[in-house]
Amino acid sequence: MSSLVQIPPPATKLALLPIDQGRGLGAVWAVIATEATLFVCMFGAYYYLGNNKDRWALQQPPHLVYPFVLLAVLLSSSVVLHWGERQVEKERYRAGRIALWFSVLLGLTFLVLQGFEYASEWSDLTPDSNSYGSIFYTITSLHGAHVIVGVLILMYVGCQPFYGFARRSPHMPYQVASRYWHFVDAVWVFIVALLYVIPNIQRHLHVH
Amino acid sequence: MAELAIESQLTDLWETPKTIRGWFATVDHKELGMRYLVTAFLFLIIGGLESLLVRLQLVHSNMNLLSGEAYDQIFTLHGVTMIFWYASPILSGFAIFLIPLMIGARDMAFPRLNAFTYWTFLLSGVFLYISPFFRQAPHAGWFAYVPYTLPAYSPGLGMDFYALALIFLGISTTGAAINFIVTILRLRAPGMAISRMPLFLYSTLTISFVVVFAMPALTAACVFLELDRHWGTHFFTVPDGGSTFLWQQLFWFFGHPWVYVIFLPATGMISLIIPVFSRRPIVGYAYIAVSTILTGVVGFAVWLHHMFTVGMSDLAMSIFSAGSMTISIFTAIQVFAWLATIWKGRPVATTSMYYAVSSVILLVVGGLSGVFTGVIPVDWQVHNTYYVVAHIHYVLIGGNVFPVFAGLYFWLPKMTGRMMNEKLGKLSFWVMFIGFNVAFFPMHILGLMGMPRRIYTYAAGLGFDTWNLVVTIGAFVFGLGILISIVNLFVSLRSGVLAGRNPWNADGLEWLTDSPPKAYAFAHIPVVASRHPLWDDYENLDDPENDRVLDQGRLTPTTTWLDAVPVGIATIPEDSLAPLFMSLTMFGIFVAFAFHWMWAVLAMLILTFAIGCIWMWPNTRKEVL
Repeated sequence: MSSLVQIPPPATKLALLPIDQGRGLGAVWAVIATEATLFVCMFGAYYYLGNNKDRWALQQPPHLVYPFVLLAVLLSSSVVLHWGERQVEKERYRAGRIALWFSVLLGLTFLVLQGFEYASEWSDLTPDSNSYGSIFYTITSLHGAHVIVGVLILMYVGCQPFYGFARRSPHMPYQVASRYWHFVDAVWVFIVALLYVIPNIQRHLHVH
Repeated sequence: MAELAIESQLTDLWETPKTIRGWFATVDHKELGMRYLVTAFLFLIIGGLESLLVRLQLVHSNMNLLSGEAYDQIFTLHGVTMIFWYASPILSGFAIFLIPLMIGARDMAFPRLNAFTYWTFLLSGVFLYISPFFRQAPHAGWFAYVPYTLPAYSPGLGMDFYALALIFLGISTTGAAINFIVTILRLRAPGMAISRMPLFLYSTLTISFVVVFAMPALTAACVFLELDRHWGTHFFTVPDGGSTFLWQQLFWFFGHPWVYVIFLPATGMISLIIPVFSRRPIVGYAYIAVSTILTGVVGFAVWLHHMFTVGMSDLAMSIFSAGSMTISIFTAIQVFAWLATIWKGRPVATTSMYYAVSSVILLVVGGLSGVFTGVIPVDWQVHNTYYVVAHIHYVLIGGNVFPVFAGLYFWLPKMTGRMMNEKLGKLSFWVMFIGFNVAFFPMHILGLMGMPRRIYTYAAGLGFDTWNLVVTIGAFVFGLGILISIVNLFVSLRSGVLAGRNPWNADGLEWLTDSPPKAYAFAHIPVVASRHPLWDDYENLDDPENDRVLDQGRLTPTTTWLDAVPVGIATIPEDSLAPLFMSLTMFGIFVAFAFHWMWAVLAMLILTFAIGCIWMWPNTRKEVL
C-alpha cells in the first residue's frame, strides 16, 4: 500500500539463531487455559445448582482437616518441583530428577489420603444422593483424575534420559510437566476455598 | 550452492514417501488440510442429503414418508453434522492448508498434533454415524435439551452417542485451536508484524481463543448428561435438586461463541478475496481486525438470548439483548469495509467474487433477522418457529457455505494446480443463490404464520402447504447447484487449465509458492515488509548468501509474536504413525464407553498413554543439534 511506510524487515542471520523452545510452553499454557475453564464451568454448575435452595449442602458443613492436609501435600509437591526446575536450569540434572520423583511421591500420597477422606468423611453422601453429592463428587474426582494424569506425566518425564531435560531440548519436558502440575495444585486451592471453606463461613454467618 | 541442489536437498528432507505407511503417517499440513476439506465436504453432502429427506417429509401436509421418530433422528443428525462436523472443520481445513503458506512457514507449530486432530475429527464423525446403524441416532435436535434427553424419555444409545461424540470432537477442535494459536503467534515470517498479518489470521486466531474458552462448557454439559443417564447423578433431575436450565446455560455458553467459530474465519476469507478482485487493498484493515477480535470477546456475553423464553429477570434479559445488538455493530463495520473496498476498487466478476459478494448480501439478511430476534418481545413471538430456522440458515449458509465456495474457487487452483471452469462455476453460483433464497426466504413467512420448527408433519388447511412446497423445491435446486460445483471440481482435476503460481495476481505469500506447493513450500524463507508482499516493490526473495534456506534439517524460523523479529529456529518433527494409533485407541475408548465395556475402557486408556509415551520420547539424534 503506497500510503504506508515500508519498514525493511530485520536483517538477522537465521543460521545463528538458537533452537526454539517456546512452542511447548505456549501450548501448555493454552491447555491450562482450557482445563481451567472446564473447572470454572464445574464451579459455575456448583453455584447454579445451589442457587435458591434453602439448605442445599449438608446438615453439617464439610470438615476442614482433610482438605487442608491435602492442600499442604500438594503445595509442598509444587515447591519441591519448582526447586527441581531451578536445578535443571542450572544443569544439575540429578537433583532435578530426585525432586521430580519426590513430587510424584507426594502426588500419590494425595491420592491415598483423598481415598481415606472419601471413606471417612463422606460415607453418608454418594453421587446419587442428591445434586450436591453429584457435583461434589464430580468436581473432586475430576481433580483426582487430573492428579493421576499429572503423576503419570511426571513419572514419564522422570524416566527420560537427561538429554530430554537438556537446555537445548526444543520441547523442555521438565518445564512443561511442572507447569501442568502447578496448575493441578492450584485447582485444589480453589476447591478448598469454594467447596470447603466458604460453606463453613456461610454456616457460621447463618447465610445458606 | 546452486538453486537446484538446494531444492533437491529440501525435497529429501520434507517430502513424505508415496507409500501406504507414508499416507497414514504424513504430518504435511498441505496433505492434512486437503483431507480436512474433503472429509468436511463429505459431511456436508451427508448432512445435505438428510435435509432433503426432511424436506420431502414436509413437502405436503400429513405426509407419511418418515415416522415421527425417524424424522427426529434425521433432522438431529442433519443439524449436528452440519454444525459440528462440517462448518468448523471445513474452515480448519482452509486454515491448516493456507496458514503456514500465508505466514511463510514450512509447517504448523505442531505437525503431529495436526495429524492427530485430523484423525480424531474423522473418527469422531465415524463414531457419531455408528448410531444410525442401530436405528438409535440422537433425536433431540442439535442442542439436546434435558429432560427430554434423560433416559426416561430417550432410552437407547442415541443421546449417549451424541454426548460422547461431542466430547471426542471437542478434543480434536481444542487441539487444532492450540495449534493455530502457537503457529500464528510464533511461526510468522521475519517482518510479518501483527499489523501486517492477513486478516484471515486475525479471525482464525480469534476463534482459536474462543474454542479454548468455550469448548469446556460443552464438555462439562455432555459429561453431566452421561453421568445423569448412566451413573445415577442428579444434575438435571429437579426433584433431587438438579436443574434443567443448567444444561441450557452450559450449552449456550458454549453454543453462541461457537456460532462465531463457524462464521468469523469465513469473514476472514471474504476479507482476503474481495480486495484481490477489487484490485486494491482492503479498506479499514485495522477496523476489521479489531471488530473481529471484539466479536469473539462479546460473543461470550450474549448466550442468554437463546433462552429468553425460559423466564429470567428483566435485567438479565436486557443486558443480553443489548449485548446481542452490540455484536451487529462489529459485523456491520466489516460489511461496510467490504462495500467500500468494492466501491473504491475496480471489481472483477469472477465466480469467487460472486460467492463472496452474495455471502455479504445473505449475511445482511440473516443479520437483520438476528437483530429482530434479539428484541425480546419479537423473540417471544417467533421463538421455536420457522423464522428462527430461516435466520440460522441465512447466517450459516450466507456466513459459511457461500464464503467456503468463494474460498474453494479462489484457493483450489493453489491446492490442485488447475483452474476451475468459470462458466460452470457461475452456473453453479446462480443455481445455488436462487435455490437458497427460494428455499429459505419463505421460512420467514412460515415462521410468522406460526409454523413451529421440528414438527414431522402438519395438518392441512393451515395455509402451510404452498410455502412448504416452495421451500422443498428450493432445497433441491440448492442441492443441484452444489452438485454442479462438484462436477466442476472433477472436470478441473482432469482437464483444468494449469494455474501457475499466482493466477489471480493476489497479494498473499501463499501465491509465492508453486501450485500445488512443494513439500517445503519456500526454498528461501520469505521476509515481509508490508501487508501485501506480492503487490509491493520491496524485494523479499533476494537471498544471495542462502542465509534463509535452513536445510540442515526440518527447520523453520520462529519470531516474536508482536513484531516478528526472528528469535529461534523451530525443529519440525518427521512423519509418524503415533497420531493415527492414538486416535484409534481413543476411538476405542469412546466405543467401549457407549456400550459400557468398562474393562475395555481401562485397557484402551492404558494403550493411549503408552502410545503417547512412544510419541513424545526425546530423540537425541534429531533434537539436540
